[in-house]
Amino acid sequence: MTVLPRAATKEKTKTETRTKTAVARPWNVIVHDDPVTLMTYVTRVFIQVFGYPDSKAQRLMMEVHREGRSIVWTGGREQAEVYAQKLQAHHLKTSLEQVDAE
Amino acid sequence: MMWAARADDGYLVGGLTRDCLETLRGVPMLVESSDPRVRERLLPDTYDSAEDEQQWREHSTPELERLFMSRLQIVRKDLAAVRKLEAIDLWVLLLPDTHANAWLASLNAARLALFVLNDLDARHLERDGDSLCTDKQREAVWRIQFLAEIQCILMGEMESMDDLGDPEDGDDEEHGKGADIDHGPMHDGPIPPLS
Repeated sequence: MTVLPRAATKEKTKTETRTKTAVARPWNVIVHDDPVTLMTYVTRVFIQVFGYPDSKAQRLMMEVHREGRSIVWTGGREQAEVYAQKLQAHHLKTSLEQVDAE
Repeated sequence: MMWAARADDGYLVGGLTRDCLETLRGVPMLVESSDPRVRERLLPDTYDSAEDEQQWREHSTPELERLFMSRLQIVRKDLAAVRKLEAIDLWVLLLPDTHANAWLASLNAARLALFVLNDLDARHLERDGDSLCTDKQREAVWRIQFLAEIQCILMGEMESMDDLGDPEDGDDEEHGKGADIDHGPMHDGPIPPLS
């Protein structure tokens, strides 16, 4: 009599764990290089949008410049969309991609 | 020679030629352009997934469009107040500090629009890019660089920029306390773009 309920509970727990893992996969906010936008403007936008210190904002800007793109923030989808919209509002070329599952 | 000077509540930009003024007045039209190349650049694809992208465009694009338009209202208002110096064919524009963000973003959008509308690529913006340009592209590059100089003024990047003196001092006639900026027909690439 007690075996069945325990097995069912175990199965339910397994399912919930899988679901939570999928939901928790974070999103990357990516800024892409463009040949027009001023480097100083990009740095300024990073400081304004994320509140990053100048050194971090400059490092990310240089990564965009040298690598062609940079992951400027990683986290939950809703907040990632807020940041993407703010960056696009300043005309930085921005995209969102989900972090690959391991 | 264009000059810029710090005033109490913003930057004064003077020595603007007819070409400069025409370029600034063209900013709203460029940002509002319905050309697909401009729309694609100002409202770029955000998601790889078509479904996610569609949802993004339904929710985000209208908000962004409204924001762009509200900024342009500010830009237009400042441009309407531009003053012509008597006796010479030059204009002075006040860029209030409270309007700086609207101007910076709108200038950036206009520069991007000029870039895509004139089939430019990164090589055209390099120091020796002049030889690659058609006449139309050369003019577009000049406008892109001129608008970048206005951005630099707003970001406080012009060197030797002194505060504008008290008008009571009587030395404001020459506008000599601001930074002079050479804006001749092809810049020598003094402003570093993102790449």
